[in-house]
Amino acid sequence: MFRKVLVANRGEIALRVICACKELGIQTVAVYSEADRNSLHVRFADEAICIGPPRSKDSYLNIPQVISAAEITDVDAIHPGYGFLSENANFAEVCEASQITFIGPTSESIRMMGEKDRARREMAKAGVPIMPGTDGAVADEDTAVRAAGEIGYPLIIKAVAGGGGRGMRIVRSRAELSPAFQAARHEAQQAFGIPDVYMERFIERPRHIEFQVLGDTHGKVIHLGERECSIQRRHQKLLEESPSPAVSAGRREEMGARIAHALEQIAYSNAGTVELLMDDAGDFYFIEMNTRIQVEHPVTEMITGVDLVKSQIRVAAGDRLDEIIPNLEFRGHAIECRVNAEDPETFTPSAGRVTTFHTPGSTGVRVDTAMHSDAFIPPYYDSLIAKLVVHGRDREEALSRMRRALEMFIVEGVKTTIPLHRKILADPDFAAGNFDTHFLERYLPALQAAAK
Amino acid sequence: MAKKPKQPANAAVPAQPSAGADLSHLERMLAFMEQHGLEEFEYEHAGLRVRLRKPSANTHHTSALPARAFGMGAMTPPEILVGGSASPAAEAAAGAPSRSEPTGTAAADAEDLHVVKSPIVGTFYECPSPGTAAFVKVGDQVTSGQVLCIIEAMKLMNEIESDAAGEIVRRYIENGQPVEYGESLFAIRTSRKK
Repeated sequence: MFRKVLVANRGEIALRVICACKELGIQTVAVYSEADRNSLHVRFADEAICIGPPRSKDSYLNIPQVISAAEITDVDAIHPGYGFLSENANFAEVCEASQITFIGPTSESIRMMGEKDRARREMAKAGVPIMPGTDGAVADEDTAVRAAGEIGYPLIIKAVAGGGGRGMRIVRSRAELSPAFQAARHEAQQAFGIPDVYMERFIERPRHIEFQVLGDTHGKVIHLGERECSIQRRHQKLLEESPSPAVSAGRREEMGARIAHALEQIAYSNAGTVELLMDDAGDFYFIEMNTRIQVEHPVTEMITGVDLVKSQIRVAAGDRLDEIIPNLEFRGHAIECRVNAEDPETFTPSAGRVTTFHTPGSTGVRVDTAMHSDAFIPPYYDSLIAKLVVHGRDREEALSRMRRALEMFIVEGVKTTIPLHRKILADPDFAAGNFDTHFLERYLPALQAAAK
Repeated sequence: MAKKPKQPANAAVPAQPSAGADLSHLERMLAFMEQHGLEEFEYEHAGLRVRLRKPSANTHHTSALPARAFGMGAMTPPEILVGGSASPAAEAAAGAPSRSEPTGTAAADAEDLHVVKSPIVGTFYECPSPGTAAFVKVGDQVTSGQVLCIIEAMKLMNEIESDAAGEIVRRYIENGQPVEYGESLFAIRTSRKK
């Protein structure tokens, strides 16, 4: 087992990794920007190194600074958390070259899944259904027209090198195709430096379903069930739950097994999440894979009892999956609300000093956060300040527990999305499990809903 | 020389047993200092570095620096050594300098000195290569842009240039010591003309 691990991240996930390390008896090193000098992750780590000024590119994204910090503190491994360098194949390679274990998949896997069209090809080859679409980048308009003929409408044009909604256009008819093609290429060039786009079928009312997977370094991969992540605003998740009210046990097992088998074929190791869209008929289509631990991992932890971050560390240290998880069981229902420091209606980030921070507790409630009273939220990083997760015997109990917990979560000094979460939990369609990725539009001002 | 000094040099005992020092070891060093009339004594062996300094106008507590322990969290138990704390709460309680503002930078501010800080994380080296003379020493006059030291990061030797002209009045870092971003390296008393 590792003696010392450097956490290349900040905020709640850095603290999460430190928790796992403490439980495994591993010494921790935190890295921090000048803006995070008094953060909890710095204070709870055994050692801490300042690696730069506030801006992420000069600190948390600065590979030489992070590696140098790892070298002078003589760590065995680095955990990259999520975001930042976690899916940077180059960073994983630099770790490998510096004889520091990267706690995550191989740089090869990261690279494969980072190139969206290559990821689709590999998964299709391995037996996972993908959206009907082009095999690679669409070279020109003529190719686009031919591809559209095969894929059918509606279809979507997406940037090869990107994500998060940029370089995307929906096309519902032949007439829309050419202008949309040009516009998507232009936006992709601006946003990612590469204009290449691919095309695939578009589902009007999809559900976003993702499967948590875990592979060891001995060739075995398992799935730990799915998470329902359809409650999104502009492709940013706000609320996640497991199991999905729309996925039957049979479908879960069938798709989970297919995914695990496919990942064994490409020798995937460590944690990951396979994202799919599900249509009205309950058919799944692979969209992309995230080769890291995700924000919403606690949802899966609550229904399986598995500590995913500890599992990541153990996998990286060479332990076998059947030792780490000898017996996998799913129990009850879990829901997570992402509490962001944002205006609940305009979503403008709210930075500043948090004067009151009282988290809910009691049965079945978990809060993952690096926030506390008197803390100052810097303006340089994302707005997530806490993850409120509940577990119940069934969905009904989980819903009632989340309503109660949201009511008892007090944050003053900054605005948060808690009021929006309370609206979602009070919504009859949400309570009935009838929703898709368009659900949140009803709570967004009409102007914002148009943005797609 | 008096066997027992009137004001014994201060020394902090490292809390981590793995640091390898024990009290009798330190007592022997203190006796050695007295015997030879030393004001300051530094000792390094097997990852443990100890600096003992007799109290005078500008010194604070001395600290035993395990070679690679950066900062201590506020939540660590009280017996952890005073000099290594990086958290403001622990600083206020213990009155100790934080890791990135080591002994004397408060004094530097008072004297209106310019402090050259490290722009990168790495290991500090005072000379261009092992065995050669140091780039600069205390008392030297330096110009803006003059190379003061090397900080090695990921096997690359980065030359650190002075961002001020004047006289080097203090060096904060020992040869071979790891440094973090923003760590004080040298204090320069700036001259009126460059």
